[in-house]
Amino acid sequence: MRPAENIKRLIKNAKIKINPKVKKAALEELINELEKPKQSKPTPRPDIWRIFMKNRMTKFAAAAVLVVAVLLSITFLDQSATSAYAIEQTIQVSHSVRYLHIKSFMASMSDTPIECWVEFDQSGQVKNVRINKPAWMSPGDGESVIVWKDNKMQLWVKKKNFLVTLKDKEVAAQMLSMVEQLDPKNAAADILQAQEKGDSEVEIQEPENKAEPIVITATSLVENGLPFQRAILFVDQATKLLNSVETYQLKDGEYVHFSTIEFYDYNIPIDSEMFTLENIPDDVMRMDQTTQQVGLEQGDLSDNEIAVKLIRQFLQALIEKDYTKAGRLFSGVPAERMEKAYGKIRFIKIISIGEPTPKPEMRALYVPCTVEIEENGKITQWHPEHSYVRQVHGQPERWEIIGGFRGI
Amino acid sequence: MEDRRLIYKLNRGSRDALCRIYEKYRDDLVRIAAGLLNNVGTAEDVVQDVFLMLVHSADKYKIRKNLKGYLTTCVANKARNLNRGKCPQNSVSLDDVEPATSNCEAPDQCMICDEDFQQVYKAMAQLPYEQKEAVILHIQAKMKFREIAKLQTTSTKTTLSRYNYGLNKLRSMLNSEVEK
Repeated sequence: MRPAENIKRLIKNAKIKINPKVKKAALEELINELEKPKQSKPTPRPDIWRIFMKNRMTKFAAAAVLVVAVLLSITFLDQSATSAYAIEQTIQVSHSVRYLHIKSFMASMSDTPIECWVEFDQSGQVKNVRINKPAWMSPGDGESVIVWKDNKMQLWVKKKNFLVTLKDKEVAAQMLSMVEQLDPKNAAADILQAQEKGDSEVEIQEPENKAEPIVITATSLVENGLPFQRAILFVDQATKLLNSVETYQLKDGEYVHFSTIEFYDYNIPIDSEMFTLENIPDDVMRMDQTTQQVGLEQGDLSDNEIAVKLIRQFLQALIEKDYTKAGRLFSGVPAERMEKAYGKIRFIKIISIGEPTPKPEMRALYVPCTVEIEENGKITQWHPEHSYVRQVHGQPERWEIIGGFRGI
Repeated sequence: MEDRRLIYKLNRGSRDALCRIYEKYRDDLVRIAAGLLNNVGTAEDVVQDVFLMLVHSADKYKIRKNLKGYLTTCVANKARNLNRGKCPQNSVSLDDVEPATSNCEAPDQCMICDEDFQQVYKAMAQLPYEQKEAVILHIQAKMKFREIAKLQTTSTKTTLSRYNYGLNKLRSMLNSEVEK
């Protein structure tokens, strides 16, 4: 037996042979970067954009990201400009924003925008958020509403008629990060940095007619360095607040409209009911993962082991008609809902549970299984097609079933 | 103090400072990243990205504590992001473990040095990512549990339990390997 101390020593003293050619070439690359004139340093490709767009939970933030990207990409603070207006004024007045309503229209999608309502506290921190996601963002789920309040996130998927309540630091951090990035005062530092980079060219038009908005056109000078190549900002001359932002992508030498983000109701108090989902229909299935431990604890099992154990216990619970346990393993579905879905089926025995396979797009594992059931007097074998399991949001030591069983 | 001076010089474009930082920390960072990612080639890429970020942005970061801790955290974050993008879990059979080698022309030059550690690598590839991360960052990178907990956005207690689970699991796997 190797004692733990030996294992620790083994890990601690482990060496890797380094290929000196690779190491030298890498250092040369760094030196070249260091010695490049600062203005021509490439901007790292914003992988975060791709990550956001891939992630179902964060797709709603496309609008927010766009705004941030706009702000990040622009060298506004060129004091040599003859315009009397400076973006600093917009940043400054944005410090006092407590309430904000945002609509984001994607040019390639339907006319239904993503809508977002944000309330900031007195210190300027995000307090409450509501996001209405149109169906085009997740055709499978349809329209949904996300509310974030008191560090809890609630997701109401209307078509599937369920409400999930989560308290996950990761989700909360994502949400806060995205919303905070909408806040011009937080973006000010980034704008100052962008000024040094010289990544974009900025033109400011300040019409004599004070009823017309100031128009700021920012064009990226770095090919493929940003998710879009041009942004046009419209600023209210009286308040200096942003009215809207249009973004464009360069396709075949032409700037093609990509999205429009509109800002409404600055500092008009938002009804507190907007930040709750208490008034949703009674028949909505509620899964509150903040008040109960759902799924199974992983302990020292591997991911595959816990996945198989989870499915086995779920099926066994159905065999024993223990709907409370089955529901707890299945994301916290209420027992009565489980009974409604499965009460008329007699689960006889588990035939097989196969080796789990990863489903990276869902951050889940698929666990094939076969169970013998009796339904309407007929005995058959049932092979759920989408029996997926994954880590519970906010309870990373636990795993839950997230779908694939009919009737839920 | 040396690190602060190096960063100060790097901010002013000192090639010598860059070389010194690189020589001082690069190999250790590759070792940590390789442990997290089970692949030396990917680990080298991750570390190179972190150094590029340092070169581009050193002047924007205020490194108050220590440069090594800062670089290690950057490597751990990048490795975690890569891991998330690649696959949500890390359980693979021992036979499927990708050898921890670079894709270089002379694989014998860049393989894991000793056989014992190859076994550890294989075993670590079977650990859930958070457990592996806690083990490597504590033992190899000498990070404190509360620092790892902050990085994992969890409590120190959870990180400690991940570490213990990971270590026990490694021990159990390696012992069973020996017994075969």
